[in-house]
Amino acid sequence: MEKEQVRDALQRIVGKDNVLWKDVDVSVYSYDAGLVKGRAGLVVFVDNADQVAQIVSLLYKEGISYVARGSGTNLTGGTVPMDGGVVIEFARMNRILEIDLENERVTVEPGIYNLSVQTALAEKGYYYAPDPASQKASSMGGNLGENAGGPHCLKYGVTSNHVLGAEVVLPNGEKTWIGGKALDAPGPDLMGLLVGAEGTLGIVTKMVCRIMRLPERVVTMLAIYNSVEDAGQTVSDIIAEGIIPATLEIMDNAVIRAVEESVHAGYPLEAEAVLLIELDGLTDGMDEQAKRITEICEKDGATSYRLAKDANERNVLWAGRRGAFGAVARVRPAYLVCDGTVPRTQLPKALSEVKRISKKYNVPIGNVFHAGDGNLHPLIMFDDRDADELARVHKAGSEILKVCADLGGTISGEHGIGTEKLREMSFVFREGDIRMMRGVKQAIDPKALCNPGKVLPKKEARA
Amino acid sequence: MDKQTANDGGAPLRSLESLGVAAKRVERPANESEAKQVLAGAFKEKLTVLPIGGATTPSVGTMPERVDILLDMTGMAGVVDFDMSNLNMVVLAGTTIDGVNEYLGGQGKGFFLPLDPPFSGRATMGGVYAANGSGPCRLRYGTVRDQAMGVRGIDARGEEVGFGGKTVKNVSGYDMTKFLVGSAGSLGLITAAIMRVYPLPEASSVCEVAFPRLEELEKFLQTLRSSVLIPSGVTVEPAKSGFRVVAAFEGHPRAVERENKDFLAMADSFGGRGEAKVGREAMRQALRAAIEPGGEAMAIKVTVPISEGPRTLAGLAAVAGAAKTVLYAGTGVVLIYGVDGPIIDGAKRLASNGFVAPVRLDRALLAKWGPRVNGTIERLVLRPIKEQLDATGVFPPII
Repeated sequence: MEKEQVRDALQRIVGKDNVLWKDVDVSVYSYDAGLVKGRAGLVVFVDNADQVAQIVSLLYKEGISYVARGSGTNLTGGTVPMDGGVVIEFARMNRILEIDLENERVTVEPGIYNLSVQTALAEKGYYYAPDPASQKASSMGGNLGENAGGPHCLKYGVTSNHVLGAEVVLPNGEKTWIGGKALDAPGPDLMGLLVGAEGTLGIVTKMVCRIMRLPERVVTMLAIYNSVEDAGQTVSDIIAEGIIPATLEIMDNAVIRAVEESVHAGYPLEAEAVLLIELDGLTDGMDEQAKRITEICEKDGATSYRLAKDANERNVLWAGRRGAFGAVARVRPAYLVCDGTVPRTQLPKALSEVKRISKKYNVPIGNVFHAGDGNLHPLIMFDDRDADELARVHKAGSEILKVCADLGGTISGEHGIGTEKLREMSFVFREGDIRMMRGVKQAIDPKALCNPGKVLPKKEARA
Repeated sequence: MDKQTANDGGAPLRSLESLGVAAKRVERPANESEAKQVLAGAFKEKLTVLPIGGATTPSVGTMPERVDILLDMTGMAGVVDFDMSNLNMVVLAGTTIDGVNEYLGGQGKGFFLPLDPPFSGRATMGGVYAANGSGPCRLRYGTVRDQAMGVRGIDARGEEVGFGGKTVKNVSGYDMTKFLVGSAGSLGLITAAIMRVYPLPEASSVCEVAFPRLEELEKFLQTLRSSVLIPSGVTVEPAKSGFRVVAAFEGHPRAVERENKDFLAMADSFGGRGEAKVGREAMRQALRAAIEPGGEAMAIKVTVPISEGPRTLAGLAAVAGAAKTVLYAGTGVVLIYGVDGPIIDGAKRLASNGFVAPVRLDRALLAKWGPRVNGTIERLVLRPIKEQLDATGVFPPII
């Protein structure tokens, strides 16, 4: 089938106005928030699951590849069409289908923003735990595909811990359900497999997610340090004390300065690091826990600390953290965010290696990280018009991931593999491990049409 | 490696024989290398292997009538790497859950693994992983899928595989760590798990309350769920007159004290009467008594949406005959112990919004069970995966 014929067939399914085919129109769907650029052949806007099933069925018969796309905030090229295939765009499938407080579930379409779900739930006294920093723009379906995390995942887990069921269009176009409102669907954990598979095993058209009651009380604290290592020590000491806060987030001086210029969160410019700590739960005993934490901060050399007095102060402190990625655009026009993760106690070593790599490749690196779960986000800042610098950025990024792997960690905590870390998969997996994953992909998507070229390296691509 | 013939009568073999499964021989590897040797041999000689731990939940997977090798994993036991600072451990598949917690409780300030399946004195880490076993404290801590950080195993060719690692967050490749939860030995042998570990809470308590009627119980549980109280686990059992509720609380001493008080007051307002006991041992004993009634083996697991839990429990109790039932409140999980009366049909009817799965049934009953997953999933997902990962059928068929 020629491109025009495919276009016409898609238009018969979704209507004439809901298919883009001109180069100028599809070009903006050829990249995401990562660095890789691909090529989209056609873009189709869908409104419901039946349309998705018809589209996938058509593409399956014609042997045309496709990729599902939400907001395009993916940081590793996961939603980039690599071979001129069809982009199935979910921005219009953005409805909350049901908020079921009795059963503590929310059912949503995949195109809805994470924050829109949070806002609707907050009005009823509930929340959905995964809260990626991109929550204003990233979609729930994208969060599912990447197994998104966020600051509050330290205590409550990541997306895979909170998505309990999904309506899925399988790669041949058949629609089915995995899991649901009830727990423990018999057999291997297919929901667990699907979350984080980056849309390579099927397309989710509805999601059933766990929701939780808002805590009785939240205490947010900011501790200020003269060294990142001291801040990291506080993180380990808090956990060793048996306290598991809702969040433990660190930003270094480079990020603090960028954030202050951009968001004015009130972080001290001279600080080498700030540690954002949040406790939540019952009121009883929380003051004692907060006091214990301030004692630990003092012991570890915090120069000062402060508690958010009200929701407004809390929001300002968080605005700084959530705006960190965007803020670094004031330093350089582009950045590569590494997503390596290490066991928590290896953070100081990992950070010292990041500094060394920054010098070695002569690229500025700011650090913002989910310290409680050892998830680094070194932001390598650069000018993407400078080809030499871009090459150094890629080498630096890869070396940081090698450091994380060698310290007992991994190459991605919450951003996925996409196309950008395929080579680095060999840092953490043996060929037999990858062969098992390839077997899963081959079984579910035998024609390799469902977001091809992502997650799993081809044999020859391995380092 | 311990070797037994079918006539030697090892405990797992006897247990499976009573359910109608026969094995030509039993192998009991002491380490990964020995397990690898057995599986590589089975692959080469086209033999079938059925891995088994404490045999508390064998019917979660398929139980072939005859297997060539019963792989008794209880010889591979122990916590081999406890990382106190990073709150994780590597635990061998044959270690019992009680064994893990006994070890962790004695380390430093005291730690624990928050898995509390029934018969945790026999249930092994590998078995609980492969069968997706759980206890009432899943309400707070979740299940294996929430606590496992990684898994080590051996594939159908007899080669080592490993997924995940020692980080809480990990999206490197497909999440095989989760996919193997509930796989019941059909896709590979689990030899070790990397699990999250928690510091023992400063305070623990248990409240035991009796409710005379279902209506009040339902309203009470709904009120509890929408309150700010955070119980670790809640069980409900049918009693002689009404229902018995056991609720566990853990955390800061002041928080636990308030939770006991608020819980009992809330129960009282719905006609529930009872008392609180302080201490971890009291909590453990009360929960254990609730989920191991009379020492009877679990037979069937039913899961329904949370709000349907109490009514499903009452409905099952009405058709259960002598079989006992217990609800993990707040999760919608109901366990049925023993098979009596029209319980299987009743369970399938009552759980039309959820799932019903065999846990420990004899082969004659299993043969009549019918499909466990929907036809599309079976045809387009599970069978093709089985074909890719274990084409020669070393491991038991996938459900």
